[in-house]
Amino acid sequence: MNRKNPYVYYGKKILIFLLSVLLLSVVIFYVARLAPGDPLVSYYGDRVEKMSMAEREWAEENLGLNDPIHVQYLRWLQNALKGNFGISFKYKTDVLEVIGGRLVNTLILGGIGFVLIFVLALGLGILCAWHEEKWLDKLICKVGTIISCIPEFWLSLILILIFAIYLRWLPSSSAYSIGKAKDISDRILHLILPMTIVVGSHLWYYAYMIRNKLLEEVRAEYVLLAKSKGLDKKSILFRHCLRNIIPSYLSIMAISVPHILGGTYIIETVFSYPGIGTLSYESARYQDYNLLMLLCILSGAVVILCNIIAQTINEHIDPRMRENESIETTEVTEIG
Amino acid sequence: MDDRFVQVGIRSVAAPTEKKAKWYEGKPLVSMAVLAVILLGCLFCGFFLPKDPAYMDLYHANTAPNAEFWFGTDAMGRDIFSMIWYGGRISLFIGFFATMISTAIAILFGAISGLAPKWLDDLLMRLTEIFLSIPNLLLVILLQAILGKANVLSISFVIGITGWTSIAKVVRTEVRQIRNSEYVIAARCMGAGFFRILWKHLTPNFISSIMFMVIMNIRGAIVSESTLSFLGIGLPLEIISWGSMLSLSEKSMLSGAWWMILIPGVFLIVTLLCITNIGNHLRKNVNRRQSNL
Repeated sequence: MNRKNPYVYYGKKILIFLLSVLLLSVVIFYVARLAPGDPLVSYYGDRVEKMSMAEREWAEENLGLNDPIHVQYLRWLQNALKGNFGISFKYKTDVLEVIGGRLVNTLILGGIGFVLIFVLALGLGILCAWHEEKWLDKLICKVGTIISCIPEFWLSLILILIFAIYLRWLPSSSAYSIGKAKDISDRILHLILPMTIVVGSHLWYYAYMIRNKLLEEVRAEYVLLAKSKGLDKKSILFRHCLRNIIPSYLSIMAISVPHILGGTYIIETVFSYPGIGTLSYESARYQDYNLLMLLCILSGAVVILCNIIAQTINEHIDPRMRENESIETTEVTEIG
Repeated sequence: MDDRFVQVGIRSVAAPTEKKAKWYEGKPLVSMAVLAVILLGCLFCGFFLPKDPAYMDLYHANTAPNAEFWFGTDAMGRDIFSMIWYGGRISLFIGFFATMISTAIAILFGAISGLAPKWLDDLLMRLTEIFLSIPNLLLVILLQAILGKANVLSISFVIGITGWTSIAKVVRTEVRQIRNSEYVIAARCMGAGFFRILWKHLTPNFISSIMFMVIMNIRGAIVSESTLSFLGIGLPLEIISWGSMLSLSEKSMLSGAWWMILIPGVFLIVTLLCITNIGNHLRKNVNRRQSNL
């Protein structure tokens, strides 16, 4: 690892990032076009069925769907580098415009959710480690195991059933009531249920990880030394043990971004929350190529970036880690 | 007992009886029993089912649980009690089959990456990262579209080939640690091929460290199937599985038919919970010393 020259070090990382994103765009482009389905349907709707052959030809020519895939890709790339990502077949406006309106919603849901998970997991983990093997610790672990087994969509259904249908306290879908897009309290009301699911389904895994890391840490020799010097439990745990695990927690949270992001996709779809998740679900199902490309690249870039950040953090904590060593996670892969 | 010991004040202590741990001690018995009941019930459901799970009794559609329909009926008049066992068969099959596919890919990919020279290893790992960065949901939708209409095999395949990365990473790390040990070199000197080394020397060594993840992969695959079917991109309604039963639930919510959501969901969750408990048991036990705090 080249510590002497930070420019080389970070330049290399940026290069890797750009190459990865480029490769990602090639893969998505090919996979999306290999999937059968008629992109014309998403552009013209039901009118496609009434079109004559000549009209179809013309339409495909017009949208540039007739050329071989690599020609289409190069054309897309050329335009994309100029900042022109094409138009969405379904919404018939610039994809940037389509995404722009939705991005904020997802950032609110995912971003606040992420911060909440980060903070709450830390708190719960410390609480468990503090009360190790006592009833509180056991209770939290048991409840966590059970909740983490519940599929996100089912938990959403149950909460909708209870709070939206039986109790009628909270709205069951969308991000705001019609005509109230600017009303903040209305938005918060719509956010409560999806946010609960985002946080609730991911929180336990990270809390459990914090707990285990802390429990390993309190068995180290230096804790005994600190104790014999007369420090109390609180200051040992917070000022010494916690400090030691925070960097590795940061790197794990950076890798966890795709999982939380993926979970948000499903939750958005269940709640028909107008964000990136529902949009990409639509675009993949109805072959809205340009939209799909940009969405995949956007989320892919975020994920790759987070991976690189995690790697950088890890290298700074532990210089033994080789530059290209990938970080181990024992995260269970689930749809998302 | 010798008298001398008694005189100096040493009491005779009965020799500690060797307490032999019974085979079942420390094992997740309840989970194993419940899972066994569910597995056997699903396997042999043909012998005890009261009704044909696919028969649509339209006179009794949307019936709440009663003496005739123990778990009620769904919107198409099918008996939910029969569907649960019959559908569980398919859900569990998808879980196992998808896991077999992903484990096979993971072992192969991990071993190649672990044994390869550094540049190839780096390249493969970078590719895995890119693969991981495509949102899983979108990848599944696209792959499913390429494969055509979803059926049990195609959906297991799609779930299998999207869920191998985390196991592959562990396999790679383990292989890198043992690839230079004497017995592997010896085997290679004697002319053993890649697959022989992989099967005879590497797999027995890393199998224990991936076992937990493999079990969790079964759980993940079952969740994936139900999520996909729920979203309407998985199994169609005619193919009964826990997921496709739940895909009716959004409509049943408005009619207040709680049993259509709750019952398949509870079966699903109980199964997942049992699998998780067994998986956690398989995870290497950490040596717990006394806390210094």
